[in-house]
Amino acid sequence: MSSSRLCWPTPNGLPALGPTAVLAACVALLAISGPAVELDLMRLIAAIPRMIEFGGHLLVLPDWEYLPTLGVNMLQTLEMTFLATSIALVVSLPLGVLAAANASPHPMVFHITRNLLTLMRALPELVWALVFVSAVGLGPLPGIMALAFVTVGFMGKFFAESIEVIDLRQVEGVAAHGAGWLQLRTFAFFPQAFPDFVGTVMYILDHNLRAAAILGLVGAGGIGYDLVMAMRMFDYDRLLPIALSIYVVVTVLDRLSDRFRRRLI
Amino acid sequence: MPALEAVRPPLPKKPFNPTPVWLSGWLALLWLIVVDLDLSFETLMYGAQDIVEYFSRYSTPDFADLSRYVELLIQTLATALWGSALAFVVAVLLSPLAARNLTPNATVYRIARETLNFMRAMPDLLLALIFVAALGLGPLPGALALGIHTAGFLGKFFSESLERVDGGVYEAVSATGASRLQVVMYAGWPSILREALGYTLYIFDRNVRMAAVLGLVGAGGIGLALHDTLRMFNYNESAALILVILVTILIIDYLSTWLRGKLN
Amino acid sequence: MSKIIIKDVAKRYANGFEALKGVSAEIPAGSFTVILGPSGAGKSTLLRTINGLETPTSGSVQIGEQPVTHASLRAVRAQVGMVFQHFNLVDRLSVMTNVLTGRLSHRSWLGSLLYLFQRGDMDIAHDALIRVGLTDKAWSRADKLSGGQQQRVGIARALAQQPRVILADEPVASLDPVTSEEIMGLLREICTRDGITIVVNLHQVELAKRFADRVIGLNEGVVVYDGVAGGLDRATLSRIYNRNGDQVDEQLETMLAYA
Repeated sequence: MSSSRLCWPTPNGLPALGPTAVLAACVALLAISGPAVELDLMRLIAAIPRMIEFGGHLLVLPDWEYLPTLGVNMLQTLEMTFLATSIALVVSLPLGVLAAANASPHPMVFHITRNLLTLMRALPELVWALVFVSAVGLGPLPGIMALAFVTVGFMGKFFAESIEVIDLRQVEGVAAHGAGWLQLRTFAFFPQAFPDFVGTVMYILDHNLRAAAILGLVGAGGIGYDLVMAMRMFDYDRLLPIALSIYVVVTVLDRLSDRFRRRLI
Repeated sequence: MPALEAVRPPLPKKPFNPTPVWLSGWLALLWLIVVDLDLSFETLMYGAQDIVEYFSRYSTPDFADLSRYVELLIQTLATALWGSALAFVVAVLLSPLAARNLTPNATVYRIARETLNFMRAMPDLLLALIFVAALGLGPLPGALALGIHTAGFLGKFFSESLERVDGGVYEAVSATGASRLQVVMYAGWPSILREALGYTLYIFDRNVRMAAVLGLVGAGGIGLALHDTLRMFNYNESAALILVILVTILIIDYLSTWLRGKLN
Repeated sequence: MSKIIIKDVAKRYANGFEALKGVSAEIPAGSFTVILGPSGAGKSTLLRTINGLETPTSGSVQIGEQPVTHASLRAVRAQVGMVFQHFNLVDRLSVMTNVLTGRLSHRSWLGSLLYLFQRGDMDIAHDALIRVGLTDKAWSRADKLSGGQQQRVGIARALAQQPRVILADEPVASLDPVTSEEIMGLLREICTRDGITIVVNLHQVELAKRFADRVIGLNEGVVVYDGVAGGLDRATLSRIYNRNGDQVDEQLETMLAYA
C-alpha cells in the first residue's frame, strides 16, 4: 500500500525546512502571546449577540440636524490633511536631499538627517497630537502639527530612497557643464525622482486622511471627536452617517489619487 | 546683423505649461484652509517660546513604574501580533477572489474588492470603539480592530501581486485539469510569497504603532497609560512612557527592515 | 490513444477579428500532427480550442468520445497535456513540484492544499523526469534551469498527467536550433513509444517535414492543406504562407532557407 502513503514533494518526503520553521515560529509566538492579548473564545462568542444588537441600533434614520456639522467637520479633516501634507512636502524636499547618500553634502549630515527622520516617524501621530494638544490647546492646530511632523519623517525617508536610485550618469552630464551644487540637485536629481515622489505623496495623502480622521479623539481637530462622542453618548443616529462619510471620502480620495498618479506618470 | 534676424525661422509655438496654474492653485488652497481653520501663526510664534519651555518639562523621565510599562508593552506587542495574524488569514482568503485573473466571476470580484476597500476605509479606531462596546475593555478588541482594518490593506497588496503574475503560469497549471483553488495554491502563492511576506512584516510594523495608540479608547496597552499621565500633567512619567514606546517601535522597525532585507 | 475531431470551428473576437473561419479536421489517434502557418493564421487559437483555453464561437471539438464543453473542461484538461512557448513553469517551485502539478486533477482539494501527494504520484512524476532526462535536477528551482531544460520540465509535467493527447504551442520558438531538435525529437519519441496523440504548432517548415506524420496548413483562419508531411511541396507552402493573395516568391525562398 505504499502508493497511497502521503508525502511532500521533497527528497525525504517531509515538508521543506524553511517554511516549516517559519510557520512553527509564528505559531509559537502566537501561542505565547495569547494570554497577553486576553484571548478568550467564550468572550468572543458571547459578544456576537451584542454585535448584532449594535448593528441593529445603527439602522436608524440619521440625525438630519447634525448633517451640516458633519459636513463642516469632514471638511476640516480634509483641510487638516491637505495642509499638513503640504507643509511636510515643502520641508521634506530639502531634508530628503540631505538624507540621500548620493546627494547629501557630507556623510555626517547624511547620518544625522537619516536618524532625525527615523525619530520623527517613530511615534504614531496620535501620540504627538496628545503632546501638542497639551502644549498649544485644543483645535486643528495641534493636529496639523502632529501630522506634519510625522509625515516629514516618512516623506523624507521615501524621498531620500527615491533619490538614491537615480541614474548617476544623468547627473554627470549636467555636472560636466559646470552646474553648481543646488543646480545639480534641481535639474538632474529631482526630475528623475519626480515620478516616485508623486507616488509617495499620493500614498501619504491617503494615509494622512485616515490618520486625521482619528486625531479628534484627543481633541486635535477633525471628525474623530464627533465619532468618539457619538459612541460614548450612544448617538446611533449619528454613528452611521459619520462612518459612511469617512468611508466615502477615503474611497473617493483613493480613486482620485489612482487616476492622478496615472496621469502624471 | 539685421539681415540675420530677418532670416531666423520662427520656433514652434510653445506648449502651454500648466505648472504655474497648479502651483498658484495649490497656494491659494492652502491660504483658504488657513483662513477657514482660523489658524493663527501669531499664536504659534508666541507659543514657540512656550513650546520650548513645555518640552523642557519632559527632560527628566521617571522610570519608577518601568515594570508596569514593560508589561503594558508586551500587551501592545501581543495585540499587534494577533491583529496582524488575523489580517493575514483574512487577506489570504479574500485576495484570490479580488484578483482579476483568479476570480471565478465578475460579481465575486466586485464583492471581494469592495469588502477589502471597506475594511481599509474604516478607521481602526472606530472598529476598536465598537469592539470595546461589545467585548469590554482590554487588548482583545484592539487586536480584532487592527486585524480587520489591516486585512483590507494586506488583501489589496496580495491581490495586486497576484494580478501581476504572468497569466501563462496560471494557464499552464489550469491546463492540467487543476481546480481554481489548486491554481491559486500552486501558481499564485508560490509566485508572490516573498512580496507577500514583506507586506505582512510592513503591516505588523504599522500595527505595533497603532496598538500603542488604541489604548486611548480602552483597547488595552500602553496608550491608555500615556493618556492618563498626560492628563494629570505628569510630565516625567509621560516622558518615560514615550521613551519606552519610542525604543520599542525603533527596535521592531529595525527588525522588520532586517527581515525584509533577508527576504530579498 | 485518442483521436481529435474538430468540426467547423470558428472564433470571432469581441473586436470583430475572425481568428478561425470554419476549420474542420480529424486528427487520428496516436499521430504526430504539426500545424503550420504564418503568424496570425490562427494556429494558437485552434490549438487552444482543443483543451478549452479558447471557446469557439461556433463549431465543436471532440476528443475521443468526449466533447469539449464548459462543463467538461476539467475532465478534458486532465487528459490533455500542454507545452508552452515560454514554458510557463512556476519559477519559485522545484522541478519536481512543477512536474507534480500535472497530477493535481487526481488529488483531493484538501491534500493538494497542504502540498501533499501520494507515493504513486511521486513515482509517476519520477518516471516522467526519467523520460525527459532531468532526474538530476529534480530538486532545483525551476528558474535556475536553461531554456531547453525548462521546456523538458514542461513536457514532464504533461507526461505526469498520463494524457491521451499532448498539445504543444510553439514549443521551440524560444530555443536555439540544436535544443529545438532535441525537444522535437523527445516529443516524437513520446508519440511513437506511448501512442499519445501529439499536435504541435510550429513555424519552422523544416522541423515539420522531419518530425510530422501529418501537417495541417493554416492561413488566415482557414485550412489550406491537410495531409501527409511529404506533401509539403513549393505550391502547398506558398498557399500556406502567402499573405493577402500576393505571391511573394522571394520571401518564400528566404523563409524556407531559414526554416
